[in-house]
Amino acid sequence: MKKDIEPGMAFNIKKLNKIFAFLSFIFLVSVIWVFLDDYIRPWKAFQIEAMNIKREKISEKLKLAEEKLDKKKKEEVLAEIEKGKALAKSRVQDIRKVEKRIMELKKEIKAETIINGTLNSQVAALTFDYGVAHTNHAPNAKSLFKTMSHKKRLFAESRDRMKDLDGRFKKAQKRLEELKKEQIVAEKELKALTGSIDLLRQAKAQTDMNGIFVIRNAPLIDFLDPTLKIQQLVLTDVTDDRYFQHVPKVDRCITCHTFIDQKGYEKEKNPFKTHPNLDLMVGLKSHHPMKRFGCTSCHGGEGHRVTDFSSPAHTPQNEEQKKEWVEKYNYHPPHKIAQPMYKKGQTEAACIKCHQGVEFIPQGTVVNEGQRNIEKFGCYACHKIEGWEHKRKPGPGLKKIASKVSKEFFKNWVWDPKKFNKHAKMPSFFGLDNNKDPKFMKKNIAEVNAIAEYLFDKSADYKPFKTFSGGNAERGKNLVKEIGCMGCHGVEGFEDISDKIDAFAGPHLTGTGSKVNPDWLVSWLKKPTHYQEDTIMPSFRLTDREANDITAYLMSLKNRQFESLEFEKLDTKVRDEILITYFSAFDTLAVAKKKLDSMSDRERTLELGHRSVGKYGCYSCHNIDGFEGRAPIGPELTKVGSKPLTQFGFGHEHDVEHSRDGWIKAHLLNPRRWDNGIDKPFKDLLRMPDFDMTEEEANSITIALIGQVADKIPLSGIKRLDAHEQIAADGMKVVNKFNCIGCHQVDGVRGDILKMYDEDINEGPPLLVGQGHRVQADWFHHFLKDVYPIRPWLKVRMPTFNLSNEERNAIVSMFQAKEKQQTFVDNKVRVQWEPGERVAAKKLFDSLACASCHTAGFNNEEATAPNLYFAKRRLRPSWIKKWLANPQAILSETVMPNFWEDGEATEPSILDGDPKKQINALTKYLIEIGHDFLPDSQTKYWETK
Amino acid sequence: MKEIINWLADPIRSFPIFCFLFYLMIKNYKVIGTKKFGIISALLSIPVVGWFAADPNFWAIITWPDNIPIVILIVLVSFLTWFALYKCAVNDTRIEAGQCPIEALPENREKVWCWPNLVYIELFCIIATTVFLIVWAILFKAPLEEPANPTWAPNPAKAPWYFLGLQEMLVYFDPWMAGVVLPGVIVVGLIAIPYIDTNPKGNGYFTFVERKMAVSLFLFGWLALWLYLIIVGTFLRGPNWTFYGPFEFWDFHKVVAEYNVNLSEFLWIKWLNTSMPKNLVIRESLGIILSFLYMFGLPPIMAASKKGKQLIKDMGQMRFYILTVLVLLMCSLPIKMVLRWLFSLKYIVALPEWELNL
Repeated sequence: MKKDIEPGMAFNIKKLNKIFAFLSFIFLVSVIWVFLDDYIRPWKAFQIEAMNIKREKISEKLKLAEEKLDKKKKEEVLAEIEKGKALAKSRVQDIRKVEKRIMELKKEIKAETIINGTLNSQVAALTFDYGVAHTNHAPNAKSLFKTMSHKKRLFAESRDRMKDLDGRFKKAQKRLEELKKEQIVAEKELKALTGSIDLLRQAKAQTDMNGIFVIRNAPLIDFLDPTLKIQQLVLTDVTDDRYFQHVPKVDRCITCHTFIDQKGYEKEKNPFKTHPNLDLMVGLKSHHPMKRFGCTSCHGGEGHRVTDFSSPAHTPQNEEQKKEWVEKYNYHPPHKIAQPMYKKGQTEAACIKCHQGVEFIPQGTVVNEGQRNIEKFGCYACHKIEGWEHKRKPGPGLKKIASKVSKEFFKNWVWDPKKFNKHAKMPSFFGLDNNKDPKFMKKNIAEVNAIAEYLFDKSADYKPFKTFSGGNAERGKNLVKEIGCMGCHGVEGFEDISDKIDAFAGPHLTGTGSKVNPDWLVSWLKKPTHYQEDTIMPSFRLTDREANDITAYLMSLKNRQFESLEFEKLDTKVRDEILITYFSAFDTLAVAKKKLDSMSDRERTLELGHRSVGKYGCYSCHNIDGFEGRAPIGPELTKVGSKPLTQFGFGHEHDVEHSRDGWIKAHLLNPRRWDNGIDKPFKDLLRMPDFDMTEEEANSITIALIGQVADKIPLSGIKRLDAHEQIAADGMKVVNKFNCIGCHQVDGVRGDILKMYDEDINEGPPLLVGQGHRVQADWFHHFLKDVYPIRPWLKVRMPTFNLSNEERNAIVSMFQAKEKQQTFVDNKVRVQWEPGERVAAKKLFDSLACASCHTAGFNNEEATAPNLYFAKRRLRPSWIKKWLANPQAILSETVMPNFWEDGEATEPSILDGDPKKQINALTKYLIEIGHDFLPDSQTKYWETK
Repeated sequence: MKEIINWLADPIRSFPIFCFLFYLMIKNYKVIGTKKFGIISALLSIPVVGWFAADPNFWAIITWPDNIPIVILIVLVSFLTWFALYKCAVNDTRIEAGQCPIEALPENREKVWCWPNLVYIELFCIIATTVFLIVWAILFKAPLEEPANPTWAPNPAKAPWYFLGLQEMLVYFDPWMAGVVLPGVIVVGLIAIPYIDTNPKGNGYFTFVERKMAVSLFLFGWLALWLYLIIVGTFLRGPNWTFYGPFEFWDFHKVVAEYNVNLSEFLWIKWLNTSMPKNLVIRESLGIILSFLYMFGLPPIMAASKKGKQLIKDMGQMRFYILTVLVLLMCSLPIKMVLRWLFSLKYIVALPEWELNL
């Protein structure tokens, strides 16, 4: 036993005390540490920096305001104040007297207030007591009444004294002001002069980091009233799905993004930047104010987490930014977050979740581009997407295919469409990454042969009703360019224009001569519905000569190389092999073989053809007999933006970014890559075809798809179309289906072909601005069925579409709803003239030389403006007035002159030069002279004038 | 090398290896229980652990905030086991030489005050532990996850670390066995220890030689059946509760070949080549009989053995039978594991109709 240990002790107590001291010290340190760790938050640093930035801004403004201040004036005012003070000093005796009186009065008022208050409460209590006593016939009712009356009287007296005191007090006050009058006036003047500067100074003082700031934000007491604190938005219109219930979304992004909703911080670096589009988003007056929609409703991410930079699931745009973030913010990718923030440039994806049922989202350029590309490549045909059900099948019907193309062409085309036409919308199914192996190729060839046999076998008879009688290819080429084919088709020979317009409603016309026969083509051009009833290809009302000329041109476009291709013949052994795998899916091999043996050679080929059409989903894009009502082949994409990442099959492709958009983009660019490195039987190979799309196209589609989320948003949060908007949205579906916007720009949307007319936009199809206000509904409905040229000088033609009555109604209602117009104009009302007005109108009509452009019916000159005789039934009178008053306000490029520029009449002598009167008179005149019937293409009215 | 370790780490191989090492340890506890062995193995483990940790996948596993307790646990248990064996070895050498254990030396028998010798030091421990927990909480943030989503469970869904052994047992047993019966038996067994173990030797001092069976049985249950399973469950079970080697990337799509067959299916289909009887009890009769034999047939046989007779003489019949039942239940786990690995045996008694599977 050691000497320094006391008896009964195992340890040296002094040593133990030292250990205890040491441990206590560490304990203290750790407690301080834990408080500091809790206290020091990354967002506080940002808020302090934001305070400094704000301070700088205010200082700048202050400096500017001080510079602007009229110093001389200020001096003067200051001198004025001094003068005032001196004057007051000279009246110091009086002032003191008045001040003394005011003090006395104040005292008396206070004393009287106490008396008054006491009496008031007594009266109230007595009134109640008396009331009770009276109704209960209590014996003390009388005495109570007496006391109450007495008190009431006293109270009234007190009130009276009070009024008197108040009056005297005001008088004294006024007297005092009078005595100090000069000083007070000058001081007020000074305040007006330097008021804004004072305000700025106050604002600046709020950014002072003084003792009060330190105390308010000190650890432990910063729960009382801190200036550095988490700022949050609680949104009742948008909720977060917490799985067991929906809770209001809480966004705390503004804790660090301090100036996101304030103008003037555009040039700061993040997070202090102003939102780049305050007019549309975040801004108080925008459609999406911050208080209502928050941040993560659009941006995604975990808006309530402000622990550190990574916690709200910021997502870097690319590897570079990721590296930068890692260095700057110790960034690490979000963990287990269902919806990380959208990358920069992808945020518009979020528009889709609230803006449903519309063809175009206003100002959503990126997402509209994505949806346009979905439409272009026809993704919706194989993949169901809610809200896209109304779209037509993107490919042509194949029910009469045998009369259109040869079997040999068909096979070569199916095998590799891009070889025939590099712009082909038809994607490639064969010779791709996962099936270019010769053993798979052999089977694919058998399948393509069988598909051809099957479709040609099913094909209905069709005989063209016209025969090609030869034409002038040069003229045809010109027609193709002039009459407007290129609103829907790219055309060989006009590569530049085709690229510019990037039309996709119809196929890119190249090598047509190697594809179809001239008789079919000329019939098709004359009457597309003759071959395919449900085609969107309209009739251009071509004359036989025109149709023949165009046919001549299109037939001259040959693809010799493609023509020389010879498709490998059907290998019956391979065919049988594939059939056996189909038959043995649920049966034994022996049964499958027996089944096969019972079939003739032809039957086997057709069976494989039928199965292959089903396997590759040809029927999803093309109308094919026998496949009506079959579900589309691809998985549904309605909620693909919420599909858990773990459910995306990345296969062994480790270089693909591990995110939803990474997968979708990689999938679009090379859909078969997921089979790499996986040994699969032929029947299980991935079948999504290769669209050969560019990276930009894949990007934009990806953005539109990741917006397809499963979030449930309260009705108050989503965009609900009102009655007018609903009608407009429904009409737009028809407009989009028939690609009206390929030619017409509808209130700023599209008008692809106008890119051809950038030299003179008036040579192109008319821009439809406020069309629903411009034309009358019945005329419009009639016109859509019986198109006649309104502007005969235009080379481009409004074609006649194969519209159903419903579709025509939808289009008319759409325009009408967009302008909130009533359906019909009362055309039966007789024009009521004011005295002399008719004469004036006629005079005005002549002197403004209306008939020099609107010649039809007035002279025999060539018309360069529409026929005015049709205005009565075609145009709405209110629009005519609006148009006359300022045509350029409606169509900035129009050649129609403005006769009343800036409210100045060109003809001041007529109708007192009053623009309103003149315009009214002209409108009345047009209505009076106008035909009261609708023009009719059948009777060719317009040709007879 | 890493592939070999990955391959060896699979419970099919690592459990027998672990048991064999355990056997070696018990057998050679005097070699292991020396300071020399302790220091050499501690030194050797440094480069080995370093080499392991250099692998990004392994590093990711051991530094995952959830898994840090297990790392601490491995270090602590290794040291404490060695320390106990060391103390035992020293004492046993003395006992064999006819001396008293170190704890029984006169200077170690002297009595001291409870305060401050015990209470003061307990206070130290309280403070030190609190400091440790505070610092731990600061340095490793609690791994909060997304809000619970019934339609999207985390994968792998892991129990708290101290229950991972039980979760690992679920691989081999029906939930009510692995989740209810066996844990219950563990608790009951632990409570029963003082009543069964009447051996007065080893009170107040470390010894192995005087309590061979007690120490070996307990250590086997503790190290091989509890901690080993926790370690496997923590480090080697990834998404879908699939086995991943220590150096393996947790690829979500990893597939393992596993097809298990019930004993009754073995009996009727494979061996007797007939269809399964409709009567459930007859269908499972072999499994039921075997289970009964195991639980009730084995104890009398064990009692009849030489060792058994000796034990009954030492502790009495009642204690003996309770002990054997407990030990048999404990051994059912490794037995079932081995059967699973060797024969892909799913259940010995498969009565899903009654929710009763063994």
